Amino acid sequence: MLDTPFANFLSELKLELRESAVQLSRLKLYNSSKWSAEALCGMCEIPSVPVMKTFMKNDDSPLKNRSNIQFGQQESPQKYLAGMESSEYDLYLLASTLFECKEFDRCAYYLADTKHPELKFLKLYSKYLSWDKKTQENMESSMTPQSSKQGSGFRDNTEMTNREVMNRLRSHESGNSNALKKSQKSVDLDNGESTSIPMILKELNDYLLLEGDKPTFGISLLHYLRGMLYKIQDIPSNAISSFLTSLTMFPFNWVCWTELLSCISRTDESALLLKILCEKFNDEKTQVMLKFFKLSLFQEFSGNIDEFIQELDYLLSIFPNFAFLKTQHALINYHYMDYVSAGLIFEQIIKLDPYRLEDMDTYSNILYVMQKPSKLAYLAQFASGVDRFRAETCCIIANYYSAKQEHEKSILYFRRALTLNKNCTSAWTLMGHEFVELKNSHAAIECYRRAVDINPRDFKAWYGLGQAYEVLDMHLYSLYYFQKSCALKPLDKRMWQALASCYEKVDSLEESIKCYTRALQLSLDSDLDTTILFRLAILYEKQNDTMSCKEYMIKCVEAQHSTDGFINEETTKASLWLARYEAKYKNFSEAYKHALRVTHGSSQEIEEARAIVRECRKRMD
Amino acid sequence: MSRGNTPSQHNSTLAISPLVGSRSLQVPQQRNPANASSTRQWSGSHRAAQTPHHSVTYSPLVQKIQNNASLATPAPVQDHGSTAGLLASMTKNGLFGPTMPSTLRKVSIVGDIRRHSTSIDNVVGDVAGAESQIGDDRLVQDIDIAQLPAAEKLRLWRHDSLMQHQYRTAEYIGDKVYAMTGDPNDAFWLAQVYYNSGSYIRAVELLTRNNLDTSSVMCRYLTALCLIQLKKYEDALDIVGETNPFRDPLGNHVKNQDGGIKLESSMCYLRGKIFSALNNFDKAKESLKEALLVDVKNFEAFDELVSKNLLTPTEQWTFISSLDFSDLDDNEELIRSLYITKLSKYLNLDQVHSAHEFLSEEYKLDNNTDLIQSNADTLFTQCKFSDCLKLCEEALEKDEFNFSILPIYISCLYELGGKNKLFLVSHKMAENFPKHPITWFGVGAYYMCINKISEARKYFSKASILDPSFSQAWIGFAHTYAVEGEHEQAVSAYSTASRYFPGTHLPNLFLGMQYLLMGTLPLAEEYFALAYDICPYDPLLLNEMGVLYFKKNDYLKAKRYLKKAWEAIKALDSESKSWISIHTNLAHTYRKLGDNERAVKCFRLVLETTGKDADTLCALGYVYLRMNRIEKAIDSLHSSLALRPSNQAAQDLLKQALDVNLSTVLDESHPLVISSKLQEQGTGTMSKKRTANILDAHGVAKKLKHGQDSSEDEDSMDLE
Repeated sequence: MLDTPFANFLSELKLELRESAVQLSRLKLYNSSKWSAEALCGMCEIPSVPVMKTFMKNDDSPLKNRSNIQFGQQESPQKYLAGMESSEYDLYLLASTLFECKEFDRCAYYLADTKHPELKFLKLYSKYLSWDKKTQENMESSMTPQSSKQGSGFRDNTEMTNREVMNRLRSHESGNSNALKKSQKSVDLDNGESTSIPMILKELNDYLLLEGDKPTFGISLLHYLRGMLYKIQDIPSNAISSFLTSLTMFPFNWVCWTELLSCISRTDESALLLKILCEKFNDEKTQVMLKFFKLSLFQEFSGNIDEFIQELDYLLSIFPNFAFLKTQHALINYHYMDYVSAGLIFEQIIKLDPYRLEDMDTYSNILYVMQKPSKLAYLAQFASGVDRFRAETCCIIANYYSAKQEHEKSILYFRRALTLNKNCTSAWTLMGHEFVELKNSHAAIECYRRAVDINPRDFKAWYGLGQAYEVLDMHLYSLYYFQKSCALKPLDKRMWQALASCYEKVDSLEESIKCYTRALQLSLDSDLDTTILFRLAILYEKQNDTMSCKEYMIKCVEAQHSTDGFINEETTKASLWLARYEAKYKNFSEAYKHALRVTHGSSQEIEEARAIVRECRKRMD
Repeated sequence: MSRGNTPSQHNSTLAISPLVGSRSLQVPQQRNPANASSTRQWSGSHRAAQTPHHSVTYSPLVQKIQNNASLATPAPVQDHGSTAGLLASMTKNGLFGPTMPSTLRKVSIVGDIRRHSTSIDNVVGDVAGAESQIGDDRLVQDIDIAQLPAAEKLRLWRHDSLMQHQYRTAEYIGDKVYAMTGDPNDAFWLAQVYYNSGSYIRAVELLTRNNLDTSSVMCRYLTALCLIQLKKYEDALDIVGETNPFRDPLGNHVKNQDGGIKLESSMCYLRGKIFSALNNFDKAKESLKEALLVDVKNFEAFDELVSKNLLTPTEQWTFISSLDFSDLDDNEELIRSLYITKLSKYLNLDQVHSAHEFLSEEYKLDNNTDLIQSNADTLFTQCKFSDCLKLCEEALEKDEFNFSILPIYISCLYELGGKNKLFLVSHKMAENFPKHPITWFGVGAYYMCINKISEARKYFSKASILDPSFSQAWIGFAHTYAVEGEHEQAVSAYSTASRYFPGTHLPNLFLGMQYLLMGTLPLAEEYFALAYDICPYDPLLLNEMGVLYFKKNDYLKAKRYLKKAWEAIKALDSESKSWISIHTNLAHTYRKLGDNERAVKCFRLVLETTGKDADTLCALGYVYLRMNRIEKAIDSLHSSLALRPSNQAAQDLLKQALDVNLSTVLDESHPLVISSKLQEQGTGTMSKKRTANILDAHGVAKKLKHGQDSSEDEDSMDLE
């Protein structure tokens, strides 16, 4: 039996250990704090010292102030741990130090029986992380041995055949296709215990059924975790509702907002969601978070640009030095193809925060499109100096090589980026483009597919898929893909154009005409779109609608006028057709005029034009 | 008992224990009224059997223990709070001094009936640890050996050496005693010595000499037992008789007086055992049941019936209600509850549960291994494998090699894939019990777990050879054939199992599954029907029957059975793989019946729970195609092909879907047009003139509801 002085000594010792664990962890000495926490939890039972217990209980205990004075500096932990008993707090210390040292299984084991929501979150989260880590390790990645010899490998075999590339890609992808099965995998310790997402979800749901309505921080995080797990299980509806619950309880969790965004895949959904969110968040402060969310939403789904600018200005007034906001601004310019301003904004950002690598891959895209290789080279060197092993860096380097026309190297770096961050859709899409450059349609298709699997809102990937299948002459497939890309960007005339040409290839003339018409409507300066006009004319001809055909031919020809005599193939053909047409109907002067205009083009066309000219001259005289 | 007077079939050997005193000189004792945990007293007044020596009335079964623990008493003294159950009172003559150095000192009274229902070998002296305390004010009388007659002294000596397992002494002295007295009881004890030392044939010879086996029931019993050990089943059957020769045609139930197991009952048990060994399971069942009806204390027979699966679950429960527990007086409820906890967990779970509660409250037995085993059994039947595993480990911590828990534990580990632990367990078992069938069962399970089927088969067959009544080993053996696809062999193995274990529906179920796989549907149906008769509650069985009817294209019946299976699984709340199969099968049935909505729901439920699976996605795509939801169909088919690109069916379906897509007219109601209109409203024009357009979300939402087909995803958002 312990006597009082010994008991006092023990309780003091306990305090010291507790404090040491907290302080060490604060200043990131994780291993030492872990030791202290383990010692703390392994201590013998001390006969209860009354002051301590009441101290730990509730923040609004009347003894709080007194005991604060008495015990000095331990304010910060207690503020966060409302309602935790002292033994629970010790357990929390141990668990958190284990988590910091990345020992997830141990952390979950010690927290096995907790009821406190925050501890429960810690437990389930560490279980999830442990599962994630183990499944990642189990997945075969054939990338690792090759990526180490990035440069040397290619100097040796500069002629890497397409087939090898394909095989490498395939093997890499077989590693990645396991990602699809990952969610059903369970991590097995071979002694009858296993963790898997459904099991964690079940435990989480059981707990939330009992406790889920109290709007505490711990519960909101539990909802967030649930949303994440549903997302992995591919049940977006449940994921969305979980995220919404979490956000209503605690709106300042930015990752939750981004996850919510990634669950939505269609424009109409985004509109509906926005409406709901506006209703829910009335508080000024939370409105700010909502505005941020609207900005990112706009990036993905377009919307009202004026509103966007308004929001952006408002937020910039509050956060003038927030690099994230500036990148949003730059990104929107990029999406509307205003590359110059986007470039300028990025320069500003770099000045503001030179070591920031997020979104720099977009900047590298801009530089690529604007064809500024030297700047791109500089950016690539700089980024690789800061951190070689980030997905953004690898993307930048890949863009650099692509600009230098070294496509194989570029592909290699894109793959590296993907190993580092498998959710980087732009890497997949760009890699697909590279394969298209290399004329490797099949590999390109694989890449685009991966891109759309991860992010079904990436219209470029769908478009790329459509194009690749078109090359392979599988028109039914490409039709579907163009439709998808069109659905995402219905105001982009290129999509409609592609769709129309697809319909044309499968002889669906009506549809094709409709699409071309739509494209025309959308184009900024429809009079100059000679390609569309010409094709429309040809289609009408096929439908034997000669009047409309003629109309469009004329429009086509007139385009030539407005561009100051800029002659292209279509105008030549149009002129020729008109000449023939007029000649048929004996309007020789017209025909003569048109035929004269045919100055460029293939020898056959010129011959024919000359013939018509002669004919007309004869007849006119 | 006087010379030549052997106990009747209503007695046990306690009656002729050389240490049991004469009844006639007893002082009648008071019967202690119901005191649940208290000891029970013997009323000695009307015993038919007598000890060999009337003159000496003493009971050395009473331990004379002083209040203070003396040197010789090996275990702490407990006070049972009543007058100790004296077997008989002591005469004033006899006195056992505290100086008695032999095991007789350790002999003590058994207060509780639990001790009495032990096997015959321990009956004499009722050893092993039960103590009671006799206070000074009780009827303690000490026995003085010197006052015993000569033969009696020799008997005591023989007895003690038997207890100390010094068989040569026992044989030597026992032989002398028998030669001197010629008492059949002495012959019996000598035969016991031979039995214990393993010389069964000598025991048989001794007992058959002088027609002992005809005159004394006990000798007959022992002879039969020895013959069984010698595997001479026919001869044993002759001795014991094919039917119970003692059966009272009037059905009168004579109560056992001496607290042991009636010899009649033991003989019935032997009969049952012989019939089992001769593979005549019906008769074996009958005999064993009879054994219990005669004397409910015959746990051996009960265990044989229940754990060797000789009775179907329904039969088990009807049987137990027919048993008469009144023999046990105070311990009636206790034993009845204990027996109930051993019955099949497929039905009447509430009764089992209430028995559990009774036992844990009244007798504080909830941490007892048998109760834990019963709980584990329940969980296993309900397929809650992780809980079951935890419970088994708890039990095994206390008793590492408990043979009743080990099979369940091994099966749980196998179901959960715990190869590592299986390895460890089987190694430990092999070190300590190399000849025990459970060891080889464990090893076989381990090999199955790591997929080395031929090895597994070797070990399973070894286990079943060592103990042909070990049902799990048989079924494991048959499974090895089934897993490798050798249907013929599997069928023959399962058939043997179903013959040997008529009380379990599992062999018939597996037989049905094999025939289903082989395509012979009528036979499969027959076997399923048989299994259904035995146990209609197993969700696995119901699932298989559903599949059978699906294959026969009888979709309504299939739906019925699958729904039953679904109900059963829901009630059990289990996490097993059968949940997935039931749902998938149900979804396919709905699909065939044309109930597309429900089919979709079921498929999606399966996908949500288990993640992506190529076949499920393909089927989902097919259903969507039928429902004309092209986009979803194409999506599902794409996902399916992503998982398995060589799936021909999915490819064809995809082609079809794309064709349909092509022919969808690009008119006002096409999704593309609508979404583009949406966007137009939202963005304003792209021209230089920027007009302020406010996104009319409300209007948009309305348009959504009218224009497109709503997706399931939006429903949850609406509810928000």
